[in-house]
Amino acid sequence: MEHNAQESWELYRKQELALLEPILESLRITLDAEQPHIGGERYLMHAVTTVSGKKLILLGRMQDSDKRVVIKATRDAAGKREIIHERECRAFLKQIRFAYDTFFAPEELLFTESGGFCISVQAYIEQPSTFLARPTPMQFALALKAFKAQEGAHATTYEHLRQIRTIFGSMNARAYLASFDRFSECVRGHEANAHLAPLLAQARTFLTRNERVIEQYAGFLTHTDFVPHNFRVVGETMYLLDHSSIRFGNKYEGWARFINFMTLYNRELEQALLTYVRDNRTPEEYEALTAMRVYRLGEILCYYTKTLPKSQGALRTLNEARISFWSSLLESLLTGTDFPDAAVEEYRRLRDSLRSSEEKKRQQELH
Amino acid sequence: MRIVLATPLYPPDTAPQARYVKELAERLRKEHEVTIVAYAHIPEAVSGVRIVAVDKIKPIPIRLTLYTLALYRALRSADLVYAVNGPSVELPLFLLSFMRMSLVFGVVDSSAHERMKENFFTRLVHRTVRRHAHAVVTAMPPERPEILPFAAPPDTTAYEQAWKTHLADTFTYGT
Repeated sequence: MEHNAQESWELYRKQELALLEPILESLRITLDAEQPHIGGERYLMHAVTTVSGKKLILLGRMQDSDKRVVIKATRDAAGKREIIHERECRAFLKQIRFAYDTFFAPEELLFTESGGFCISVQAYIEQPSTFLARPTPMQFALALKAFKAQEGAHATTYEHLRQIRTIFGSMNARAYLASFDRFSECVRGHEANAHLAPLLAQARTFLTRNERVIEQYAGFLTHTDFVPHNFRVVGETMYLLDHSSIRFGNKYEGWARFINFMTLYNRELEQALLTYVRDNRTPEEYEALTAMRVYRLGEILCYYTKTLPKSQGALRTLNEARISFWSSLLESLLTGTDFPDAAVEEYRRLRDSLRSSEEKKRQQELH
Repeated sequence: MRIVLATPLYPPDTAPQARYVKELAERLRKEHEVTIVAYAHIPEAVSGVRIVAVDKIKPIPIRLTLYTLALYRALRSADLVYAVNGPSVELPLFLLSFMRMSLVFGVVDSSAHERMKENFFTRLVHRTVRRHAHAVVTAMPPERPEILPFAAPPDTTAYEQAWKTHLADTFTYGT
């Protein structure tokens, strides 16, 4: 199965690049020799993500200006919709009436349809160092600034909701619960995860108990995939690279994704953000954050469950370890116990030993 | 004293005026009976304070009517009303101007104040409410200093002093 998914991605990549390269050449764009965003486990991400279509994310240079660029290109109908949707989100955010702060987006240098391809070319944002290579206090300050900017856009009125409904998605408490039920069903549907059923039932009870606070803090602009590989920092400015994951939902949905990510990548930052919310916001807000972390863990468990039939060998072992790791974190959140550093270290060691060299390379400059 | 706080913004809304009204209620409730009449879906609770919320997720005419009715009921037994500026509060106040009320008008939302100037009707409503007010407040105390993980604990002396002065200046009227 792994080979089928991988081989089919590699074939797709080869065919598309053969057609795309002459088109890009005619647009005076040269592709880099190394293309990290289409290698490693990228094929697996594509195979399990149902919302996004097929697309290539490539690096290159404009021949006239020698400017480094990011190219998103696809011939796939769903992929085209995604590129166009992202473009609309980016444009709408700029003119959003009720946003107190705005987000920075890389400059769009070209948007065109040619040879059946939808092509979006954006300036590559050079950053002096990756987010995670910066000192933790700086990471904290940057993350907090970004979350506050997101919270500044609150769709509270009938008119706001009508305005955003056509562009961004919107989630209320009921939608979150229904969505969690789908994650839960997806995880329990795989025989290897039968033992997770009681944990997922406990998580569902927890979310039901917190339905009111989930609803209370709904209606905020939130980036549902706010993690370091989706933004770049230059000086004090943060550029969002992925605008397609923006929606109106619980204020803490983006926080939750980021904090869960930091459990694995920077525990000091994870704890700093949790302490900040506890010290400066209401107890209900802290509850909403915990509920959103539980929700997002349900989602990540479902994501890795979907990878199981498509992977084998070391990658299969790694995906099973991922499910085990994130479910342990879910358990610790539900029981209110500290998640041990040793569990994170052990998982990271295992992950690094199982990752392919191509994937390791892909990950290098990502965060 | 029975005090009504009428506001277009209230937490979970994140605008500074929203947090200001909540902080005001928390401080006033120690000595007064406080009711907040706010536009909010699910407002943040304040212990000992009654909150009447009008959901914003309704078309303008409906939410304005509901807010006017809620404000009317609250004002019947109030000694003082403190209203934060904004057309969605000013219009109900304008419609209820036949009622006897001690009104303190907080013109603390500068962006709403600027938007008001763009329209003849909202200008007229604002002027009428302002004329009707016994006192006009134009400044809020600063926001509460945040406790940040990688920094020294904030000095809240100036913040507390600003609130003390603000309460003394604003709510000595009628006492």
